[in-house]
Amino acid sequence: MSQQTFSSSGGTGDDEQGEETVVGGQTFASAQAADSLLDEIDEVLESNAETFVRSFVQKGGQ
Amino acid sequence: MKRRVGGLETEYGLVCVRADGTRALEPEAAARELFRPVVALGRSSNVFLGNAARLYLDVGSHPEIATAECDDWWDLVAQDRAGERILADLVSTANAHLAEQGEDARIHLLKNNVDSAGNAFGSHENFLVDRRGEFTRLPGVLLPFLVTRQIMTGAGGVVREGDGGARFVFSRRSDHMWESVSSATTRTRPIINTRDEPHGDATRYRRLHVIVGDSTMSETSTWLRFATTDLVLRLIESGQVLPELKLADDIAAIRAVARDLRGSQPVELESGAALSSLEIQQRYLDLVTPLADEGEQIVLETWQRSLDAVRTGDRSWARTRLDWAIKESLFEEVGARRGIDLASPQIERLDLAYHDIDPERGLFSRLQQAGRAQRTLEDARIEAARTTAPTTTRAHLRGQVVTEAIAHGVDHVVDWTTMRLVRPGAMPVTVLDPFATQSDEVDALLAQIRAGGTPRPDPV
Repeated sequence: MSQQTFSSSGGTGDDEQGEETVVGGQTFASAQAADSLLDEIDEVLESNAETFVRSFVQKGGQ
Repeated sequence: MKRRVGGLETEYGLVCVRADGTRALEPEAAARELFRPVVALGRSSNVFLGNAARLYLDVGSHPEIATAECDDWWDLVAQDRAGERILADLVSTANAHLAEQGEDARIHLLKNNVDSAGNAFGSHENFLVDRRGEFTRLPGVLLPFLVTRQIMTGAGGVVREGDGGARFVFSRRSDHMWESVSSATTRTRPIINTRDEPHGDATRYRRLHVIVGDSTMSETSTWLRFATTDLVLRLIESGQVLPELKLADDIAAIRAVARDLRGSQPVELESGAALSSLEIQQRYLDLVTPLADEGEQIVLETWQRSLDAVRTGDRSWARTRLDWAIKESLFEEVGARRGIDLASPQIERLDLAYHDIDPERGLFSRLQQAGRAQRTLEDARIEAARTTAPTTTRAHLRGQVVTEAIAHGVDHVVDWTTMRLVRPGAMPVTVLDPFATQSDEVDALLAQIRAGGTPRPDPV
């Protein structure tokens, strides 16, 4: 995936009706939001990712 | 059955870590900390809430929410999301308490299905089915659907293969299914569990327990699990003659289907013929189509779009709506950005972040905020579901009793079918009909509650 397209779907209301509005393309605001999200992800992955993963052990449930 | 009642039980993963990621508290201790407010109120870590859901601590220290019974699948999704928020609040309270005590410890609750040692835990769907008719043919018709359903409703994830390589799959839970049908749930991992405690009138209903599902973050994925399975059950109950789609080996097939991202590999049927997972899903979709009413056309359309996403490889619709596609897209993007492959522990960390129910830090929530995962339900509806039971099933009655009893400080005990006050001579009120929304006995119970007891603010 080389280009990021940030299309937010028109998910209004309780049910997903047949019609939906698709806003395609990349606006400045959504590009910023996306970059900041990726930066946040970087932070999480750079802080002790492997250790965190190894800490997550429980007995099985059902 | 046209109108069907269903519920969703979710076991959550729990981890409590220091800032450096090492384990701060064992799951048992962390779970005790988490449930302290619950125990303080109800003297038990197993309680029914004002929205008629059950909140408890399950085997292996998994916090669990069993939603109230719903006859509308969006109600069910709202109840499931409300349950996440209720638990997230408990996490927030526990973490604040730990911080106040100067502990370097932070609890995370994960709505997923596998921990790092390969222990599995579940997201269990319950469906009321009509007892009349051929219950014996149910597994044979339902299993091929359930084995292949993951190409639509799977949560996605990465499995490590024997050679050290890693691959993206529709569902990691598939590798943890060991039996097709069973009545036990802890010794074996059956896809379908047959239980004859219907929590209802046993002469009319049975309860079907499906444990193969992934815990899904996306509302569309959760909704599809119920809406599509409901139609297949209706197909079975219709009694009509159906094509033979029984698989030769469910357990081998479920693992192969998980790995087949194009949905095109032939799966062997008992008959000797072979169909791909896409073909099998399409068969079911086509078979249920005549049974869907006008309001259910959207189920068929969404199901078709999901299959088309797999068939064509065009993810533009799916990558904001189906968990596996949202995750696939995320893993590709982050992998490319950081120069890591699927086998990297960072991808596993990303997967855990995806399922973290923290409303601020959880990655799925952040994806929704960034418009990369669709928000379907209005926030107000989810918030309402935290305190209000569905009004169109028996949950309405239980919700009223619990809410009033808590508000009036009256000791009470309820379960799925009965309600009673903890008083000498108090008689339990039993409601067997899961569709009942009115009961004179419950009205009398409510009157008793309002008459006695000291008012107390609603705590949860």
